[in-house]
Amino acid sequence: MEREVIEADLVLPTHLGFKKIQMYEKYPKGQARGRHRKHLKQIIQAENYQNYPPDVPNYINIESPPSMHPCKKICDITGFAAPYYDPRTNLRYANAEVFKAIRSLPNDYVQRYLALRNAAVVLR
Amino acid sequence: MPFISKIQRQTDYSRFPSSHPIVIDNGGSYFRIGWAGEANPRVIFRNIVQRPRHKITGETVTIVGDHDLALLKYFDCTRSGPRSAFDSNVVYQFEIMEYILDFGFNRLGADGSQIDHPVLITECACNPVQSRSKMAELLFESYGVPSVAFGVDAAFSYKYNQQRGICDKDGLAVCSGFSTSHVIPFVNGEPVYEACCRTNVGGYHVTDYLKQLLSLKYPNHISRLTWEKVEDLKMEHCYIAPDYASEVRLFQKGAKEAEEKTRCWQLPWTPSPALEPPSEEEIARKAALKEKQGQRLREMAEAKRSSKINELENESKKLEFLLLQLRHVPENEVRSFLSKTGYVSKQEIESAFTKTTQSLRKYKGELENEEKADLSAAEKYTLINIPDNMLTPEQVKEKKRQLFLKTTSEGRQRAKQKRFEEDLERERQNKQDEEKRLENPELYLGQLRAKHRDLSEKVEQRKRLKTNGGHSNGNNVSGGVGRGERLNAAQRERMRLLTTAAFDRGKGEDTFGYKDEDWQLYKLMSKDTEDDDEGPDEDEAELARVSSRLRDIDPTFVSRSEAGPSETSHLRPLTKEDFQILLGVERFRCPEIIFNPNLIGIDQAGLDEMAGVSIRRLPAVCQSLDERMTNSILMMGGNCLFPGMADRLEAGIRMIRPCGTPIRVMGASDPILDAWRGAAAYAAAMQFPQQTFSKVDYYEKGEDWLRQYQLRYTY
Repeated sequence: MEREVIEADLVLPTHLGFKKIQMYEKYPKGQARGRHRKHLKQIIQAENYQNYPPDVPNYINIESPPSMHPCKKICDITGFAAPYYDPRTNLRYANAEVFKAIRSLPNDYVQRYLALRNAAVVLR
Repeated sequence: MPFISKIQRQTDYSRFPSSHPIVIDNGGSYFRIGWAGEANPRVIFRNIVQRPRHKITGETVTIVGDHDLALLKYFDCTRSGPRSAFDSNVVYQFEIMEYILDFGFNRLGADGSQIDHPVLITECACNPVQSRSKMAELLFESYGVPSVAFGVDAAFSYKYNQQRGICDKDGLAVCSGFSTSHVIPFVNGEPVYEACCRTNVGGYHVTDYLKQLLSLKYPNHISRLTWEKVEDLKMEHCYIAPDYASEVRLFQKGAKEAEEKTRCWQLPWTPSPALEPPSEEEIARKAALKEKQGQRLREMAEAKRSSKINELENESKKLEFLLLQLRHVPENEVRSFLSKTGYVSKQEIESAFTKTTQSLRKYKGELENEEKADLSAAEKYTLINIPDNMLTPEQVKEKKRQLFLKTTSEGRQRAKQKRFEEDLERERQNKQDEEKRLENPELYLGQLRAKHRDLSEKVEQRKRLKTNGGHSNGNNVSGGVGRGERLNAAQRERMRLLTTAAFDRGKGEDTFGYKDEDWQLYKLMSKDTEDDDEGPDEDEAELARVSSRLRDIDPTFVSRSEAGPSETSHLRPLTKEDFQILLGVERFRCPEIIFNPNLIGIDQAGLDEMAGVSIRRLPAVCQSLDERMTNSILMMGGNCLFPGMADRLEAGIRMIRPCGTPIRVMGASDPILDAWRGAAAYAAAMQFPQQTFSKVDYYEKGEDWLRQYQLRYTY
């Protein structure tokens, strides 16, 4: 290990005195560690919140409802107010110049703009 | 201001008695750890872990937090991106959590065989029991912690500010963190979780939005726009507009305030060495060089020509001599004589002779002798007029050849005539054009320009269609041909031919190819696709003619293809402006998503609406307090540091509450560190040991009890 790295104390030491079980004992090398991790969705499913009374707050209960205000439409490219949208690409645009720019965009840019709005077509 | 991590190893660990709690604020962005009762956490670092491989030794090491890039160059960081233990605001990757805790305790100076202090750790509101229990297990098993307490970071922050007198014991805590934003109402100093409200928008989303927008706008500088850099940009330049629509209108109009509000980031750039216009002598020198070269070429051509002429003269002289000799030779020796010279018959020699004389004359510069050709043609075609049956087979062959020659020469003449006529026609048209131009220059120019525009649009459209069609034909993953561009006629024809070929061959057997006529199919098809490419060429030729005309007569004309698309922009020398990144609308467009998550497609309420939702959700017994609620609204969390946030929040809440209710929005004394400070103050209080639970408790009482476990914040 290079000197500056050691001096900066960058790396986590493998053996720590205050731990009862060290990391390398818990996760021996060569074993796949990633398989049994549960993502949030699975954790929430496993919680079975529907079995509990609905007025007790839990992780899903406290989520916000959808917004009551009408959705504000802004141009995907410039951010100006956008009353129009392009039926071919589904992008919103503010005026004719932006429209010209949209029509000359390559396809993957169009998809990325749509993905910003979570409106891209995802083929899985 | 960008946060600075503090990771100095602390040396006074042994000073603290066993009962002194350690306080950990486990946040989505930063991890803060320190001792209870102190004003500031001892160790702060970014809550991420990287596991790169050392380049030389090849071992995989663990690096926690963010570090100086210069040191990281010894490691191969390509495979391992920074990983966080969080998914939204819940810890789910406990291996990473363990690395982080290791590092935190290590930097705190921990020694001894286990961590012998009670630990207070923060979590999110209504943390799922599984996450909580895994965290408790980790602390008990791996670290030997005697007792643990869990608290909500927003609550600690609110309590801390309440004790400072900034907010009342009834109020709203608006906490906007790294990945989520919460609104929690407080009644009598205790958080009311039933009315709590959470939206999954936080600082991470704002930074990500800004990064995507800038990458799409400046694809050339994409390598400069790293996550950390964009975060810095966000913290320095973004603000929240009091009203998005009016602010954006300023920019749309191009008002002067909009110019002032646009910030410009100049990337390092070196100008390319400028090509000065060549000076007088340069030009003269180049001209002289060209002259010399031209002269040299001319001389070479001359020399070639004269040598060719000499050769031809020699040749013709030889042939003449041969002919002369032939005349003198008797009949029966002709053939043997001829075989010596290499010519088969007398006529051949004669024809060769005439050919050489003709080419000689051409080289000498005389005009093509049309009449001579005609004469020789007349001589050669003598056999044509004689009907077939009177000739010998050889003569018939001869006649056929002469017929062929005659038709070709006639064709050539006709073609020449047509070309001549076309030239005349064009001359006439040009003259007419000139007259039109002279009599009305403006109108003519306008017409020409319009024609040019139309033509160029047509050409471009066809080009685009072709490339678009090519694209969709190439990326036809989903098999959709009729997505937006229909097949053009040629492709349709091909399809039709192929299907008919495959189809009408009788069922059950594929006999395509056995007959020769089948393959003619391909000739048809390829001819079809050929035609498509020929079409636009006329348009392009016309376009070229028109643009050259315009260039001659119109000094301000710049051809469309030069000014237009950006693919040719790299031919221009790169200027300073190419290396600037402008932040105009993005400055307030990105934080807008906190108030309007619809902008990035998250269908939830924004921050101001959440306050209303939260007040609505209050249980009936607390309803009377809602006036007092809005009177003390506290903003906390790193994501609420944008300038203009307080005003916007106030305006938003005013919109949804009844008229005249008192609304007071204030920011916490230190939005980022207050959670830790509140937790430290709490842990230092006397009642803290009663709120913790120990390992024994944890194993005896089981999961249900853990689910019910909540901290009591008032003491």
